[in-house]
Amino acid sequence: MNLTLTHLFAILPLIIVGITVVVVMLSAAWRRHHFLNATLTVIGLNLALASVVWVYFAGQGAVAPDLASSAVGFPTLVTPLVMIDGYALFYMALILVAALACSTLANAYLEGLDEHREEFYLLLLSSTMGAMLLVSSIHMVSLFLGLELMSVALYGMAAYTFKRRVSLESGIKYMVLSAVASSFLLFGMALLYAAYGTLEFASLGLRLVFEDSVGIWTLIGVGMMVIGLGFKLSIVPFHMWTPDVYEGAPAPVSAFLATVSKVAVFAVLVRFMIMSPTFDTKLHTVIAVLAALSMIVGNLLALGQTNLKRLLGYSSIAHLGYLLSAVVALRAGVTDGGGELSFTGQLVLETTGIYLATYVLTTLGAFGVVTLVSSPSRGQDVAQLHHFRGLFWRRPYLAVILTFMMLSLAGIPMTAGFIGKFYVLALNMNEELWWLAGTVVLGSAIGLYYYLRVMVSLYLAEPGEIQRDAAHDWGQRSGGVMVLIAALLTLLFGIYPQPLIDLVQAASPVGY
Amino acid sequence: MNLLFLVTLFPLLGAVLLACFRRMPVNLAAIIGVGSMGLAALTTAWLGLAFFAADQTPYVQHLWNWVAVGDFRLGFDYRLDGLSLTMLGVITGVGFLIHLFASWYMREDLKDQTGYLYTRFFCYMNLFVFSMLVLVLGDNLMLMFLGWEGVGLCSYLLIGYYYRGEANAWAAFKAFIITRVGDVFLAIGMFLIWVQFGTLDIQTILIEAPSVLAEGALLTEVTALMLLGGAVGKSAQLPLQTWLADAMAGPTPVSALIHAATMVTAGVYLIARTHVLFELAPFTLELVGVIGMVTLLVAGFSALAQTDIKRVLAYSTMSQIGYMFLALGVQAYDAAIFHLMIHAFFKALLFLASGSVIIACHHEQNIFKMGGLAKQIPLAYACFLVGGAALAALPIVTAGFYSKDEILWLSFASGHTVLWLGALFGAFMTSVYTFRMIFVVFHGKANLHAHAPQGIAHHLPLVVLMVLSTFVGALITPPLAGVLPELEIDAGHATQIAVEVLAAIVAIVGVGIAAGLFLGRRRLMTSLVESEQGGRVWRFLHSAFGFDTLYDRLFVKPYLLVARLHRVDWIDALINLFPGLAKLANYGLSASQNGQMRGYAATFVLGATIVVAALVLG
Repeated sequence: MNLTLTHLFAILPLIIVGITVVVVMLSAAWRRHHFLNATLTVIGLNLALASVVWVYFAGQGAVAPDLASSAVGFPTLVTPLVMIDGYALFYMALILVAALACSTLANAYLEGLDEHREEFYLLLLSSTMGAMLLVSSIHMVSLFLGLELMSVALYGMAAYTFKRRVSLESGIKYMVLSAVASSFLLFGMALLYAAYGTLEFASLGLRLVFEDSVGIWTLIGVGMMVIGLGFKLSIVPFHMWTPDVYEGAPAPVSAFLATVSKVAVFAVLVRFMIMSPTFDTKLHTVIAVLAALSMIVGNLLALGQTNLKRLLGYSSIAHLGYLLSAVVALRAGVTDGGGELSFTGQLVLETTGIYLATYVLTTLGAFGVVTLVSSPSRGQDVAQLHHFRGLFWRRPYLAVILTFMMLSLAGIPMTAGFIGKFYVLALNMNEELWWLAGTVVLGSAIGLYYYLRVMVSLYLAEPGEIQRDAAHDWGQRSGGVMVLIAALLTLLFGIYPQPLIDLVQAASPVGY
Repeated sequence: MNLLFLVTLFPLLGAVLLACFRRMPVNLAAIIGVGSMGLAALTTAWLGLAFFAADQTPYVQHLWNWVAVGDFRLGFDYRLDGLSLTMLGVITGVGFLIHLFASWYMREDLKDQTGYLYTRFFCYMNLFVFSMLVLVLGDNLMLMFLGWEGVGLCSYLLIGYYYRGEANAWAAFKAFIITRVGDVFLAIGMFLIWVQFGTLDIQTILIEAPSVLAEGALLTEVTALMLLGGAVGKSAQLPLQTWLADAMAGPTPVSALIHAATMVTAGVYLIARTHVLFELAPFTLELVGVIGMVTLLVAGFSALAQTDIKRVLAYSTMSQIGYMFLALGVQAYDAAIFHLMIHAFFKALLFLASGSVIIACHHEQNIFKMGGLAKQIPLAYACFLVGGAALAALPIVTAGFYSKDEILWLSFASGHTVLWLGALFGAFMTSVYTFRMIFVVFHGKANLHAHAPQGIAHHLPLVVLMVLSTFVGALITPPLAGVLPELEIDAGHATQIAVEVLAAIVAIVGVGIAAGLFLGRRRLMTSLVESEQGGRVWRFLHSAFGFDTLYDRLFVKPYLLVARLHRVDWIDALINLFPGLAKLANYGLSASQNGQMRGYAATFVLGATIVVAALVLG
């Protein structure tokens, strides 16, 4: 191992988050002070975000130490495990933004707890670090390491308000089922290692390319990895945990789960499929079927749902289904004859980036409103639809924001969600995946119903009894500001998506 | 010349201001509403000077690209030429006077109708003027259509200004829906033009028309016919005329501005603007004349039996526009536009004066409940005399004589004898019903006590319009040379004088007959109306030939019947199947979400097994 300063600079975001974990741990051990630790967390995350930007710009033009052949960007291979390239940095930034948003939301939420508020930030930071490792991993080991670091911290976060039975239950459910999924993932990796003797994505890809027909063990290995990752993405039929965990976990944790973990896992899945392509129609047909099932089943399950957190959970199943069609489009690889990035490859990367970014923004906004209404935490979260009845007459701006987020989730024009959905449809059309495109349309049509239902309830007459409500000055609190920014960005990218598209185009993975 | 955009900007700004600050004081609202029109009128005057200084060369102002999709390009272009300048003058000049009058009238009217916003009225009025200006200035059909729809909307809004009265709302609906029928035709006409020409630019169309369209071919006729459909709807000509009389539900200045002086002439403008297309479609051109003649006769007869002062004027408007259509039909375009301008003067005068009378008589509109008002409100009487004389085209002194007799003469000289006879009879009718109204309202026994209105905002517009309705107005010659072709006439001067004298005699005879029938005790008319046959005829005329009933039976009732038949919608039932299915699936799937972890794990493993099996076996 030959670590130079260049390498250390490249993984600066990871290092900063790691240091923040230690600092927050020491600070909490020294003195329990909620505000101080929250501030330290936010500072650390902001520094990490700044370092991501710095690495991107400072690295540009610098000669890549290990991959001298690549001319685009500044890919830096740090040990065989971690690759810092535009792709990794973009998703790191996305993860950091989402983590920041979640910690601001958690700050207000945790005020309602009597004790042990500070450890939450430790878990959040650790989980964020795992997610960041995940998006920069090009090796099975770092993949598994990142996934577990992220997930284990998440179990704790889901069960954080353990005095509530549902919260504890959701943590345990998530942990046990995750263990099952991880075993599938590990088994898949093992099968691939047995077949090829390597754990690196790139060399695995090289071996796969030279194989005439894909062997049965390879197929099962890749399939099992898809199953393991599919669980984290809550792809049907591995989705069963989603609504229970979303509902039981504290609202900021649900937001974290729905954004950070989904982004990280999906990003690494796409990278794996790009670097180690398996050109087998069977595999891609199976993935396409899983995608279609997710779209339909997710939306159908949400139809009668009256709990907003569960509803968002079901909706995330459907959304990941839409997004999974991007993986199906990888069936022919991302390069054209000359080794350059093909149009399809470009489109897949853009779709993934834009859809995830818009989905993160929208989900943060939606969960943000739920959190604001539920903060500070007192027993159950306020997530039943009847709690939100007539919200418009009490907190008009919050209601408008939630309306807007629902529109974005439904993919109505003028919202960021529309741009994402447009990309998914364009990709399906380009790949001539007609029936999948049809399923996207069908799923969206079903989805519109329950998104509209939420909107309608916001504007109904207020119920007589007194409800818990967001604080009057929510707009001046950090969480409220975050929700406002999310809403404004959703609107901005809905009307003028070019900056986002430019950003995503700059974030291509190594070699392309 | 490059100030052209200002003429539309002022009214638009006025409308926006009035819409934004709805609760502003009445005086300020009047200043903004009337002032914007005044500025627009001044701009027009400046434009007129510049236009004549530049030897009447047409000027096109490109403001911005409106639509640019593939080959479909539309500019937001204004075109100033003789025709649009004439229209501009009428719209802003007469429009300003009407706005000024309205600032007085609405103040009086709102004393009795409380709860309506003064600003809203002027906002709509300014918006209307803006739309109308866009209509006449637009250099392509699409921009013209924008203005066209804009005036339709404002007309709807203003007819229903007193929206709490149900009849007003229905009248507004009626006007909107019937003109919409015409607009659909116009839109189809535009589609046809786009298909054939590949452009909507009016000048290009006019230049290319002879080479693109075959003269008299079916498609050419249909294209022209569709444009005519639009014109007929907007200008309240047969068969889409029924809305105009009901449109009188709006405040009187609205009737003056929209339903007399400007908007209803949009159809005339459209046909004059696209006259080349109509010349290539001889049948349709002939139809234009025939529609004009039939309308002027129908409206003339209907006006004879009206009791509401505004409805009399409404029918007279219809018939005067009939004259313009007739003139267009015989290709006497400049005569049509000339009459359009003169008509704007005297009809605005008559409507404003009738507004003055209505206010003076405490909102009484039935002419038979008035009577003997000549002494009580002399100014209104003078206005009615001058305006009525112009409407009836009494010779030499009135403006209407010059414009209408030109139409009569040109229809005779171009060999359309039937049209000429119809128009001549119409002229006779016109003077009968006009002076019937004047004699009934201002002479005879005084039935009520009127108070004479005061104020410069009331007097000034009336006086100016009065002057313009005399031969002074006829001295204004619209600069139409180069825009519209002149009609070649080979008849002699002596014949012309003979025809004009005949028309003059007809008009005077009409006045005489009206005097005989309606001055004094009106015994003959009373006994006629009270007889069984006469009553039937009177009711038939009063209902304007029963068109409303006819359309009700022909269109409205069947439509409602079809609607009722579709109350139980089987297509809906079919479509509702899918939500039902979705709901069913939702129940089924929700049952699986039972919270039992062993179930979840089992599902996971089962799913994984199926996936792996599919990969291995598939």
